[in-house]
Amino acid sequence: MQLSDRVTGGVLVVLGGLAAWSGSRLPAVPGQDVGPAAFPMLIGSGLVICGALIALGIGRSFEVPEEDVPATGSRFGGLRVLIPPALLLFYMLASEPLGFLLTAGIMVFVVAWALGASMRLAVPLALVAPVLVHLAFYKLLRVPLPDGVLPAPW
Amino acid sequence: MNELMEGVRLVAAPDVIIAIVASAIYGLVVGSLPGLSATMATALLVPVTFWLSPIAAIATIITASAMAIFSGDIPGCLLRIPGTPASAAYTDEAYAMTRKGQPEVALGAGLWFSAIGGIVGTLSLVLMAPLLAEMALSFSTFEYFWLAFLGLMCATLVARSSPIKAIASMLLGLLIACIGMENPAGTPRFTFGLTDLLGGIEPIPALVGVFAVSEVMRAMATPEPPKMPHRKFGSILAGQWKLTKKYQWPMWRGNIIGVIIGVLPGAGADMAAWVSYAMSKKFSKEPEKFGTGHPEGLVEAGASNNASLASGWVPSLLFGIPGDTITAIAIGVLYMKGLNPGPTLFTENARSMYALYLIFIIANIIMIPLGIVMIRIASKVLRAPRASIMPVILLLCAVGAFATGNNLFSVLLVGVFGILGFVMERNGYPVAALVLGIVMGTMVEQNFITSLIKSDGDVMPFFERPVSAVLAAMTIGALLWPLGVWIWNRTGGRRLPA
Amino acid sequence: MVSIDRRGLLGAGAALLASPALAQPRWPARPVQMLCPWAAGGGTDAVLRIAATLLERELGQPFNVVNRTGGSGVVGHTAIAQASPDGYTLGIITSEICMLHWQGLTEVTYKNFTPLGQLNNDPPGIQVNASSAYQNVQQLADAIKASPAGKFKASGTGQGGIWHLALASWLGAMGLKADHVRWVPSNGAAPAMQDLAAGGLDFTTCSVPEARAMLDAGRARSLAVMAPARLSAFANIPTLKETMNIDITAGAMRIIAGPANLPAEVKAAIEPALKKVFDSKEYQEFMNARGFGLVYADGAGAGQALAAADKALGDAMKAAGLAKA
Repeated sequence: MQLSDRVTGGVLVVLGGLAAWSGSRLPAVPGQDVGPAAFPMLIGSGLVICGALIALGIGRSFEVPEEDVPATGSRFGGLRVLIPPALLLFYMLASEPLGFLLTAGIMVFVVAWALGASMRLAVPLALVAPVLVHLAFYKLLRVPLPDGVLPAPW
Repeated sequence: MNELMEGVRLVAAPDVIIAIVASAIYGLVVGSLPGLSATMATALLVPVTFWLSPIAAIATIITASAMAIFSGDIPGCLLRIPGTPASAAYTDEAYAMTRKGQPEVALGAGLWFSAIGGIVGTLSLVLMAPLLAEMALSFSTFEYFWLAFLGLMCATLVARSSPIKAIASMLLGLLIACIGMENPAGTPRFTFGLTDLLGGIEPIPALVGVFAVSEVMRAMATPEPPKMPHRKFGSILAGQWKLTKKYQWPMWRGNIIGVIIGVLPGAGADMAAWVSYAMSKKFSKEPEKFGTGHPEGLVEAGASNNASLASGWVPSLLFGIPGDTITAIAIGVLYMKGLNPGPTLFTENARSMYALYLIFIIANIIMIPLGIVMIRIASKVLRAPRASIMPVILLLCAVGAFATGNNLFSVLLVGVFGILGFVMERNGYPVAALVLGIVMGTMVEQNFITSLIKSDGDVMPFFERPVSAVLAAMTIGALLWPLGVWIWNRTGGRRLPA
Repeated sequence: MVSIDRRGLLGAGAALLASPALAQPRWPARPVQMLCPWAAGGGTDAVLRIAATLLERELGQPFNVVNRTGGSGVVGHTAIAQASPDGYTLGIITSEICMLHWQGLTEVTYKNFTPLGQLNNDPPGIQVNASSAYQNVQQLADAIKASPAGKFKASGTGQGGIWHLALASWLGAMGLKADHVRWVPSNGAAPAMQDLAAGGLDFTTCSVPEARAMLDAGRARSLAVMAPARLSAFANIPTLKETMNIDITAGAMRIIAGPANLPAEVKAAIEPALKKVFDSKEYQEFMNARGFGLVYADGAGAGQALAAADKALGDAMKAAGLAKA
């Protein structure tokens, strides 16, 4: 996901422009001279300016070059980085119907496996970690974690 | 004197001692879990306080919050996952020290200087509460606006990247803070019709996303780093006395800034840490070392955020104005226990006040031994294989985010912020500046807009009130200084340090 | 292999779920979840937590408080209204439920709930800085009438919040337009009281308990309370009725409620329990310590209070131009 400054700067210009434009269309509030539009317009314009400067390459001399990260070719290639956010999406959708323990077990197993863990590590981890987290959050912190199809026995 | 002895007796009661120790351990554990904040640790104690004596009830709140703020530094240092917005300011620095093989120095500095900051903050509470309270009451929205603006400018100082990218990240954070209807006009903005966005984006899911989830994503893309040479985890306190002597002046500056910012309701520990870290870099003799694992900034910011925690109680105790969410909860407990905030608390109930001061001091002292144990346990994660740590972190991110409001939408937010943080880091945009923008956004807008409303759209009152004028001059000076340096260098003058 | 495991788990889960469902003699047979639409540590949270603790003592099952925050209360209120009406998910609703739908922020109104008991009501007050020239509410009212629109600045909560509407109602009762006094939105009552003490505002219309610490500290004075009768905890503050003969009854209410269509046995069990909770020494002491107004109404009474508030607040919002079409 290394993009050139031209691209990221351009994205910021567009984003800032959109923010300022949609901010300016917010309705005024009766009885107030300064409404909800002022702040987004200010921020949006700031982003447009910054984005333009970045795209033009001003200020790059200050940057510390990021160390080169060698890409790993194994299991799923470049899309691997999307596994964590995808699993969070999975948690959001699945934790109610499946229950916390099952959802968490799947999450832990997938991450461990994708990071190259052996089955001897990944399976016990997927069994133990959800139980410990459930104990800590459900019992100690009273967070209502969903039961789903596999309620915890405590 | 008699009342001081009475205070000692109140604290020495067995139920109070048990309450302090139990809530200390509880605070350390909760604070060290990514995604769980000190506020949450405190809120969960409220039902317990129903059954405690007044002094024991307050003791649990004070102790748990102080411990949780410190232990929020532990995951930040070891795994680059800050526990609280306050520790986000120096997370990169502490993590860099861990990678250099000095985690014990970084964590020891966090512990030692947190304790010192906490004690200095308490002394300021004891000695100057009325004076500090007077200062807090002289702050109207105009002063707060300048203060928040100064805080935002720290973004450019903290980052080790192009200042323009830092400002862009910060503006992006401010834009994210615009989401929802928690703005002065009460108008829903950028909610895209989603009810879940009406309340805006909480800093905790954003923080967890950009730091922790993006770290797990990075692990996916990089091969397992070579194992750190197995060596004994050094003494935690050994080097701290040397650091104390070497960085005496930054430490005191951190304490003082922390006390001043802490006393202002709404500013609090988050801002104190940022301002102190930025000041430390600005005035350091070796600013180029910042960000590479240099303890100086940790000393100043660590002292600052705990000092602000104690002084934050001043407006709460004198006027019932909460300095932050933690003191807001504490005020509720005070009322419930018949210790109504107000000046009379200091005169008619002096022994309770002395007891309260003592609890602050005790909490900061027992923080050291308990903190050492906690650090030793937590440091085990450095030796565990990455494939066993990262899955648990991701799980904690999900549960921690869910726990902030028992709302599954926060889990999605954490994922989205993970992607955002990952992409930003790869392209040289500092994520800490984004977090600063999100944390400060509401405060900046609130005070900017309401000041304009009060002045009927006139900008002159921003400069007319005396305190406001001083803050404005500081802000404008800080804004123009780098520009002046840049022009000077451009026009062929001698190179000046920026 | 995987499918067998899963089926086994599903079976075990179903068996565990089914066992308590078979025997359900009377409500509550298992722990009850109490939703709070506001954050932990706030006033509503505190009231619900003490009520839940005392309900547990009355009814013998745990009442677990769960904060379901977000969307300025929309998320939590909606969650209570949409819970399955079996009596095991209840919650606390606040006056905002009579405001949010007028602003077009939700479809949910008070009609989507079964009110079970009102536990508290805090009326708005009128507070000025301690050094203010106005000694009573009549002097302040005269000065407001004589001033050009927008000269006076007041605060107490956000734009369109309950105390903003209290101001609009007061101005309306004096024959002035709702924006005759400029509203300065704030993040709640505490920052507004601080700004009042710092000299940034002319007056605030938040409730007296919220202003209490500043009143005790001698930084602010309360000129009147907008309620039918004086408050027991603040008996020296006159009502707006006795000084200006203006009747404003809106206030911040806190009501225990469940989703619509709750079974009759649940209502029959919890309503008397709530009355006992309200009358208990612990609850009375707690509310008096916080200065919160002790107002009780049973389920039907709370329903009437909600209906009246819905109309009054809707009218005030329309007058102030805050209601959506």
